[in-house]
Amino acid sequence: MGDDIAMQFSAIGFRHSIPKPTWYNPLKKGKGAGITHVDLAITKGEIIGLVGTNGAGKTTLLRMISGILPLEEGNVSQAGMELDVRALRSMVGFMPEQVRWSSQQTIRQTMTEFAHLRGCSVQSALDVLSLVGLRNRIDASLDSLSQGMRQRLSLAVALLGTPEILVLDEPFNGMDPVATDAFKRLLRSLADKGISIIISSHHLIELDLLADTIALLHRGQLLAHGTTESLQSSLGFEQMTELVLDKMIPESLAKTLNILDYVDAANEHRYVIESGRHDLLETLIEKKFQISTWRVVPPTLIELLCAATGLDRETIGMDVEQSSMIPLRTIGGEEE
Amino acid sequence: MLHLAFALGKERLFSTRMLIMLPILLLFIPGMAWGFADPNIQLPANQIPENATETMFLSSIGIVFAGTMAAVLIAHDGISRDRTNGVLEVRLSQPMPRWRQGVVMIIGHWTSIAFPVTLLLFISMLLVGYRSDMWIPLGDAIIYVVAAMLVLLWYTVFALLASSIAREQGSAIAFSIGLWFLFTLLWVLFTTLLAALNGVAVGDTQDQGYLIFEGRLDLLSPNGVYHHLLETRLDGVERGVSALGAYIAAFVWTIVPLYLFQRRLNRLVP
Repeated sequence: MGDDIAMQFSAIGFRHSIPKPTWYNPLKKGKGAGITHVDLAITKGEIIGLVGTNGAGKTTLLRMISGILPLEEGNVSQAGMELDVRALRSMVGFMPEQVRWSSQQTIRQTMTEFAHLRGCSVQSALDVLSLVGLRNRIDASLDSLSQGMRQRLSLAVALLGTPEILVLDEPFNGMDPVATDAFKRLLRSLADKGISIIISSHHLIELDLLADTIALLHRGQLLAHGTTESLQSSLGFEQMTELVLDKMIPESLAKTLNILDYVDAANEHRYVIESGRHDLLETLIEKKFQISTWRVVPPTLIELLCAATGLDRETIGMDVEQSSMIPLRTIGGEEE
Repeated sequence: MLHLAFALGKERLFSTRMLIMLPILLLFIPGMAWGFADPNIQLPANQIPENATETMFLSSIGIVFAGTMAAVLIAHDGISRDRTNGVLEVRLSQPMPRWRQGVVMIIGHWTSIAFPVTLLLFISMLLVGYRSDMWIPLGDAIIYVVAAMLVLLWYTVFALLASSIAREQGSAIAFSIGLWFLFTLLWVLFTTLLAALNGVAVGDTQDQGYLIFEGRLDLLSPNGVYHHLLETRLDGVERGVSALGAYIAAFVWTIVPLYLFQRRLNRLVP
């Protein structure tokens, strides 16, 4: 297992500086929200989906992994050797959210510039363009690129110098469905070559299908990390069954069920209940219900996040402001 | 590193804003040299330039007004623009150390303004020689160009520093232009006010006490140090600062902003 670990982040933390003016020092800054004590082991060739609400600290964590933000606490190591920030940056390719590439510069000039910054050959940088489908636009100016093409250029820059870890912050934003599909296939092929990928995205369905493991982040803390199945089991998640009926379940029967979700659509009643009620199927058949769907459904990423945080959907959705202000875990030391 | 710096310099040199500033630079640098080289020029206090070095000294006001302003306008968004569009984040995630990226930014922006200004300075020297038949000695010409390059470097670094602090373009330009305005226009007011508070005969340009006070206070201004450097080549100028003092001040004005900029860059958060 240890040999498969591409990088290990141990108890890393960073807190943003925020203005805390006082009458005698209007420029005073203090510690604000951030990331606390995150342990994350990244396996070679693994695709990690980072899930959390707005303000949970996803971008901060990705910036720390990319070496943009310093590790105020903890350390990063590879094969037992602690890495410095320069080594970290040379191993990680970072694609930020929504880079608005814009200037008269061409794609060729941009890639050449970043090849020098990355310390790789210009030819290899230009070759990466074929991988992301920008080779035929190599002499186009950045001003003329569509948002999807800008995303591809960001990915091309992130892929420079064959990084061991690819960090992608909202990569699907601005991409059309065809490009998204091609993008996902490209990521999978990169992972198959041993490149580890960490993706933060609000496109949870895409993320669920793509990611090998899910990391749940909330209020700057990594609550859980593992495969969907392992998270389901560790979070004590019951298996759920979805059934669609032609009429409502009678109240007397409904009382005996743990109904997790109910949708009343035209001529259809969709229920999500805890699995394991095989007797229910017999009862429904006896009572002449027409059952159009009966299937076990895995929990969605939102449900996993809800289970991990102990909050319901509504609360977690409205929790954005608090999440950036109040850490769940007590942070050592005095607040500045 | 130099490749990146010159690529940046080239991009800025051929930018739209440089095209806009070029006529201003033409008017202020060779234009002023042409004017001050007029053999029949009438200056206040019957000052008449006696040689080409003095003529070029008088023309240096073109560098102070247009050259430094162009440097500020070229570099004011050197970092803030990348910060706004997200490119800064990509740059800061690259393995090239930030101090080297900082050197690239400084050299790139500085060369983009230094190149046209140097060219215009040489044209100015030729114009002065042609019009007044007085040719600037090589040593004076070198000091003249080096001093101009230094003052442009200082303003470039100020503007980049301001750009690194500002979170958006408006603040960046306000900060840079504010600094330029302070040293170029408000400094006279500041000097006069301090001189008056110290009981110096304000307004009497022949008063030695005032000249020495002003000369020493000028060490706190980049434009002042620039003029002190030029005055090391002029005869009969006594403003209380020796040539060595001017060189030391120039060294300090070079090192301190560079240090502050590099320090800022190391702590920069996108």
